[in-house]
Amino acid sequence: MNKRPRIILYSLVGLSVVISFFPIVWLVLTSLKNTAGIYSWPVQYWPDPLTFQNYWSIFTETPELLRYVLNSFIVGVGCTVLTLSVGGLAGYALSRLRMRFAGVLMVIILSVSMFPPIALLPALFQTFLNLGLLNSFTGLILAHTGLFLPYTVWMLASYFRTLPVEIEEAARLDGMGFLRIFFSIILPLSWPGFVATGLIVFIFSWNEFPLSLVLMTQDAMRTAPVGISLYPGEFAFPWETISTATVIAIIPVLVITAIFQKQILGGLTAGSGK
Amino acid sequence: MANVSLQQIGKSYGGAVAVEAFNLEIRDGEFLVLLGPSGCGKSTTLRMIAGLESITRGDLLIGDARMNNVDPKNRGVAMVFQNYALYPHKTVAENMGMALKLQKMPKAEIEERIAGVADMLGLTAYLDRKPGSLSGGQRQRVAIGRAIVRTPEVFLFDEPLSNLDAKLRVKMRMELQELHDRLGVTSVYVTHDQVEAMTLADRIVIMDGGVIAQVGTPREVYDKPATEFVAGFIGSPAMNLMTMQSAADGSWRSNESQLVLPRLPGFDTKGANTIRVGIRPEHMTILDASAVGDDPWILPGKVMLAELLGADALLTLSVCGETMTARVNGVDYPEQGQQLAVRLNPEQLHAFDHDSKKALQV
Repeated sequence: MNKRPRIILYSLVGLSVVISFFPIVWLVLTSLKNTAGIYSWPVQYWPDPLTFQNYWSIFTETPELLRYVLNSFIVGVGCTVLTLSVGGLAGYALSRLRMRFAGVLMVIILSVSMFPPIALLPALFQTFLNLGLLNSFTGLILAHTGLFLPYTVWMLASYFRTLPVEIEEAARLDGMGFLRIFFSIILPLSWPGFVATGLIVFIFSWNEFPLSLVLMTQDAMRTAPVGISLYPGEFAFPWETISTATVIAIIPVLVITAIFQKQILGGLTAGSGK
Repeated sequence: MANVSLQQIGKSYGGAVAVEAFNLEIRDGEFLVLLGPSGCGKSTTLRMIAGLESITRGDLLIGDARMNNVDPKNRGVAMVFQNYALYPHKTVAENMGMALKLQKMPKAEIEERIAGVADMLGLTAYLDRKPGSLSGGQRQRVAIGRAIVRTPEVFLFDEPLSNLDAKLRVKMRMELQELHDRLGVTSVYVTHDQVEAMTLADRIVIMDGGVIAQVGTPREVYDKPATEFVAGFIGSPAMNLMTMQSAADGSWRSNESQLVLPRLPGFDTKGANTIRVGIRPEHMTILDASAVGDDPWILPGKVMLAELLGADALLTLSVCGETMTARVNGVDYPEQGQQLAVRLNPEQLHAFDHDSKKALQV
């Protein structure tokens, strides 16, 4: 490649990194300032004094944060597991079995996710109220699963299509049925696809706001984004608490991403074919 | 081991017909090759035998039992795929033993069988490896081993050598031949490579547009192509084919060039106005330009292009304005632009009906 396009390319990459990372960096810096530092003028770029006081006080003064993070975690994991199970089987069926109208079904599934979640809320709230699913993990997990399932089906179906169909045909000749093929051939081979999709679903669920806000009304059941959003009082805007809580809420996602990063990058199909 | 019988087999996808009225008796122990261009229906036919495609019409019998609706695993067939289709997350031994394991065969017996086949194919050292760490040739050998271990009634090969490089392909071709001689299992082999077909087959089935164009031994399909399609498909470079019109004196004339051929000996051309006359590049004799004279089969020509292949050379000639290819000795051949004479050996001519494309009876 010529040198000039490469410089432009790197500058663009650098620019997008700066743009997307600035709020996070600013958040972390804010969480390390004291109240005076946050409100000082001219703006303080590097915390002075640099303090971990906010992290100490958030656990002593607002212990409910840990509860919010735990709630988010339960909902996120539950939603991811359920979404992958249902979406994996549905995606496999839609990508492989010779079904009539498979294409139409895929479009219908996708069209469901075109509704803004907020439009679903009144109906969902009434239904969940009748079913006694408000303020329950089952309820929010189901709601999130419904929300992210179309995306999952599409992602996994297109992943399955990249696997050579001959492996499955060889398995049929070897004597496997559809379910066995799915669990002992497809699943191990599409592990990276499942990890990548699952990670994204987990992050979606972790960050989801409107449904979590409305379907979890008790303080003890709130998820992290909702809980943190309720910190500002009528007159006070406790930036140090908000930024510190947000940093803490990001950590689980970061850890999970780091753990599964290798799985996403390394494909497993190497060696089946040419 | 078993014979395979395809009776009036047909396959349609919606309205599109892929294979039509396919009739064939494959003998026990025979090595049968399905040959044809892409989309001719040869793979579909093989997949119908395997049970990977449903059969729209007709009956499939393996060892005299009707198999149309039998599950692939119960047909007694084993298949080798073009892209090997190994399980990438399983070891070579697990790949080879999968079918036996699913049949609930005792572990010791599975291991014994795998060891025997691995020894035969030179795979013993690789049994604990995953396919990813093997070369293309080794992977294909594992795929073949996976088929052998099951001791099937019929082997099905779907272009098994197409992914290998030229040198390895020749080697594996010979290994397949040895293997067939040794095991004697009925084999159906799909390929678009005529060299593979000619060297491996007991009989070749040449398919065109979903129907059988000809069934015969390699010798037969080369010497006596039943249709113009077979004539053009078998042989490399392809047969020269000219459109000729009958003249009042019994000779044949080309509308597009000055080519005139005398009465064709041995062909039943009664009632035919327009025919296609063919001659293979290797059946043309190159003579000195001065040889043109009394013999009506010696025609004047000019070399348009001369290409050396090694042992042979290909000459693109203009013979009476008709473009023809001739295969000649590569040591001493005329050069581009040279005037010469060509003798078409009348015993080695082919003639086809212009409309039905079928060979004219001798």
